[in-house]
Amino acid sequence: MSIMDLTSMAEAQKADRQELEERLRKLSLEAAEKCYQCGKCTSGCEAHKLLELEPHRIVALTKAGLFSEMTSSDLIWTCVSCFKCYERCPQKVAPVNILFALKNLSVLNGKDVPGNYTAMLQSAMTIGLVQDVQETVDRKGAVRTRDSLGLPPPPRPKDMEHFMAAIMGTAVEKV
Amino acid sequence: MPTEQYGYELSVREVLPRLGVELVDIEGFSCCGEPLKSVNQMLTIHLSARNIAICESQGLDIFVPCPMCHLALSEAKAILSENKELLQRVKEKLSAEDLSYKGTARLYHTVDLLTDIVGIDAIKAKATKPLNGMDLATHYGCHIIRPSILGRPQDSEDPAGMERILEALGGRSSHYPEKLDCCGGPLLPNHPDTAVTKTGEKLKAVQEQGFDGMVLACPWCSKMFDSKQKKGGEVVGAQLSVPVVYITQLLGLAMGIEPSKLGLDLNQSPVVKLMEKMGVAF
Repeated sequence: MSIMDLTSMAEAQKADRQELEERLRKLSLEAAEKCYQCGKCTSGCEAHKLLELEPHRIVALTKAGLFSEMTSSDLIWTCVSCFKCYERCPQKVAPVNILFALKNLSVLNGKDVPGNYTAMLQSAMTIGLVQDVQETVDRKGAVRTRDSLGLPPPPRPKDMEHFMAAIMGTAVEKV
Repeated sequence: MPTEQYGYELSVREVLPRLGVELVDIEGFSCCGEPLKSVNQMLTIHLSARNIAICESQGLDIFVPCPMCHLALSEAKAILSENKELLQRVKEKLSAEDLSYKGTARLYHTVDLLTDIVGIDAIKAKATKPLNGMDLATHYGCHIIRPSILGRPQDSEDPAGMERILEALGGRSSHYPEKLDCCGGPLLPNHPDTAVTKTGEKLKAVQEQGFDGMVLACPWCSKMFDSKQKKGGEVVGAQLSVPVVYITQLLGLAMGIEPSKLGLDLNQSPVVKLMEKMGVAF
C-alpha cells in the first residue's frame, strides 16, 4: 500500500508539523512550505526507479501535516541520502533532510527500526565505532587483519566511561 | 573506515607522505556518526563535533578520506556555526570528556588534498609509470559533491579533480551519462538486493562503454563496486569484469610503489588487467 492510499481520510497532525518546522529552522533549512511541487526532486531521485520513493510527495504530505502515515511506512527508509533532491531544488527545500527528520520521528515514536541500525547504534555507544574491526580476505581468499597488513590499531575514545555517558544522553535527545 | 576497506588506508599511508603530507594518527577518535543520522541526527552532530574538537586540541586540520565522514563533519560545523543553542548543548556534552569545540579546523578530502595542496605539478614530478592513455571512469561518492550549500570539495554536477589527476598521470577519463549515479551502498542496511542492483547497473554501463576500469575515492562506493561486483553482475545478468581502484592506489602504482604495499591484493575486482596495461609486475 502506498503512502497516498493511507491519507485520504487523515487529519493533519499539527504538533508534529510545528516540531518539524522548528527542526528545519534549527538546522538552517528551508521550510517545506516553500515547495511548489515541480517534481524536480523526484525526477532525479536515486530511490525512485527501484523503490518508488517520491520526494515531492513526501514534502506535500509534510505540508499537509500527515506524519503518522509517513512514519509508519517503510518508504521513508528507502532514501539513499544522495542529496540530489536538495542540490537541484529550485526553492532550496531539502526533501532528504525532511526524510531524516521523519526517520528520527519514527524511531522516537518506537516504530521498528529496519536493517542493522540498532546494531550500529549499540556498537557506537559501547566502542565508539558503528562496527568493530573486520577481518578481510585477499583475492586468493586468505584472511587478512589490520595487524597482518601492518596497520596500527584503530582509534577509540580514551575515556570510555565518560564517552558512553555523554553519548547515551544524546541518544534520547532530539535535535 | 578504520574497520574495513583497508586498501584505501594502506595506499593513503604510502602515497601522501611521499608527496610531502605529514599524517598524524589521532588518539581518541570515534565514528563521525553519519550512519546514525537516520536514527537520531543529534548523535551525528555530537560525534562529529567531538572528532573536530579532538583535532583542534592538537592544533591540526583534518584529513577525511571518507566522503560520508567529510559530509558529517562539514554539516556539524555549519549547523553549529549557525545555531547558538545547539552549539551550547554540544559544548556541554563535550565538556564531559574535557573537550572544547571551536569549529575552526579545516577539512580536506583525498582528491582536493591532492589537487589543491600537493598540486598537480608535484604529482607529475613523482609519477614514473604512466597510465599509457588508459580511459578510466571516475566515481566520486555522493557526499563529496553534494549538497554544495555546505561547501563540498568537488563540483556537484561536473566534478573534475580526479580527471585532472588522471591526465597528469598520462591517462584520461571520458564523460559517461551514469557518472553521478549512486553506488547503492546506503541501501545495504535495509534493502541489500536493491543496493547491489544499483551497483551492477552502473558497472554494466561502465563496462559497455569500454572503459579500462573505474577509479574512486570513497570506501563505501568501493565496497559496492569492488567487493560486491560479482554479486552486482549476478543481479543484473551481466558478466562484469571492471578493475576498480582507489585514486590513491592508482597514484601509488604510477609512483612505482609495490602493489601489495598499496593493498592491491585486497581488491576483489580484476585489477591485474589494469596493472598489466601499466606494465606493473604483480
